[in-house]
Amino acid sequence: MTQAPPSRANPGLFKRNPPIAGEAEAIEAAQKGDAEAFAKLYNLHKRRVYTLCLRMLSNVSEAEDMTQNAFLHLFRKLGSFRGESAFSTWLHRLTVNLVLMHLRKKGLNLVSLEETDNSSGEDTPKRDFGSRDPVLAGSVDRIALERALAALPPGYRMVFVLHDVEGFEHNEIAAMLDCSTGNTKSQLHKARLRLRQLLRSPSLPPESSVFPESAI
Amino acid sequence: MTVPRSIDFEHLKPEEFEHILPDLFATGDGKVSQDPRLQNFLAANPDCAALVKDLETIAETARSLFEPVVDPSDRVWQNIQAKLEEDSALASIDDDYIDPDAPID
Repeated sequence: MTQAPPSRANPGLFKRNPPIAGEAEAIEAAQKGDAEAFAKLYNLHKRRVYTLCLRMLSNVSEAEDMTQNAFLHLFRKLGSFRGESAFSTWLHRLTVNLVLMHLRKKGLNLVSLEETDNSSGEDTPKRDFGSRDPVLAGSVDRIALERALAALPPGYRMVFVLHDVEGFEHNEIAAMLDCSTGNTKSQLHKARLRLRQLLRSPSLPPESSVFPESAI
Repeated sequence: MTVPRSIDFEHLKPEEFEHILPDLFATGDGKVSQDPRLQNFLAANPDCAALVKDLETIAETARSLFEPVVDPSDRVWQNIQAKLEEDSALASIDDDYIDPDAPID
């Protein structure tokens, strides 16, 4: 189903985003204005783009609007795709930038560690040393993780999704969020600590509040 | 922020460990539990070892979330198509536009 990655590109990018059979032809045709080819690109990538938006926003309606925006932008920008990275990586970056822009417009400060958390201490990940009940026991159910992820403050969720799920490096995330790598490392660590807390808590939000139309 | 060279891993205290943990995870392959410098410390501090194990498990499970699970509703594509058609119609109006003040050949 997949082809060998082109040698000129960063192999790391293709590791998680290998080119899809027929994708290159569809890109070329869509760049020339072929509507059917663009529809094919939509069908190949809609799931991944929508899932990314949903994870970053935790809101179905906003995620659909962002998916729509991402593909409209794709249509307009497709001519500038040069194949220097995997197409899906390029599309992901475009989507992430749109979501970040959307969140900034909503007034969310993505950089400040304090403002991404809604409290001055009560909600902050607490030191976990001293608690002798490590209940994760070497495994975490991915549905439980999705639920916990949806309950994270937006700034934590953003860095966690970009790094641990999407595979972006700290320097890439720092560039996207316009902050230091020290900041993203710290934010990621706090996100993981908070997730640990949530996963150990019996009161996680129900699955339906994460992916209402879930195909899980 | 990187792990300071001055850290004495043989006499590491839990609070120092907590401070450098984000960098320990960010360097290497993120397998802090297998870092040879930390083996004595983790063996002597089971709560820290449990924390590390849990954070590694969370990061590992997160990688499995990369595969998408949800389709957007059909409405998304319908809206995209409508918008593209609207743009295309506007473009063709632009193409057909005749400047009323232009001289007639």
